Amino acid sequence: MAAVLFFAGLAGIYALLYYLNHKTPLPEGCENIKAECEGCHDSSCALHPSHDQ
Amino acid sequence: MDFGNLFVMFITFTLINNVILNQFLGICPFMGVSKKSSSALGMGAAVTFVIVAASLVTYGLYYAVLEPLNLQYMDLITFILVIASLVQLVEMVIKKMSPSLYKALGVYLPLITTNCVVLNVTLNNISEGYNFAEMMTYALAIPIGFTLVLYIFSTIRERLDASNVPAAFQGNPIALIVAGIMALAFSGLAGLV
Repeated sequence: MAAVLFFAGLAGIYALLYYLNHKTPLPEGCENIKAECEGCHDSSCALHPSHDQ
Repeated sequence: MDFGNLFVMFITFTLINNVILNQFLGICPFMGVSKKSSSALGMGAAVTFVIVAASLVTYGLYYAVLEPLNLQYMDLITFILVIASLVQLVEMVIKKMSPSLYKALGVYLPLITTNCVVLNVTLNNISEGYNFAEMMTYALAIPIGFTLVLYIFSTIRERLDASNVPAAFQGNPIALIVAGIMALAFSGLAGLV
């Protein structure tokens, strides 16, 4: 039971921070910053260009 | 507290057991964010901050919560969630407090969540049984070694861009050859301490 509660608490904190982070507006001039990463071509990576389309 | 041992530990994990060249971790940012030295330094600074913060939080959480509740088997999932949460928190704070820093680091912050170096440091802090001083030394030495190698590698790649490299070796092939030579050079430091 303690394990479930502990995991739920941590997952809840992560979900809250994720939500708050995505609600926080980007600073002026940072709307279109792009990473110059052409490293591993991992399509699940948040920086992969396919996510921009 | 033996400062001599801590210093030896710092040198060992920065130069000799370097996380990239000796342990082969963090290869994705090593290859991906090493084309410009400014980007390499930005990535190194962000990784350093997240590793130190994640080490402090996970070390405290393990010994104050997981161990007393006999939940040690949950260390991996706990540490992953802590690292992911920290990255979200850091990104949010930087967005609000320092737009210029966000411009420099913000785009690399999501990459840190999946950087295996961060998880490796937090897990090793526990499995090696480090005390607090050793944990802090380890948590600083690893990202400093990571930043050092990333920066050196990026300056070499900047020079390679202006060099006449044979077509078959252009891009990642010559970069991997350089990485191999760097690993050989760093292995020569093995007798330093």
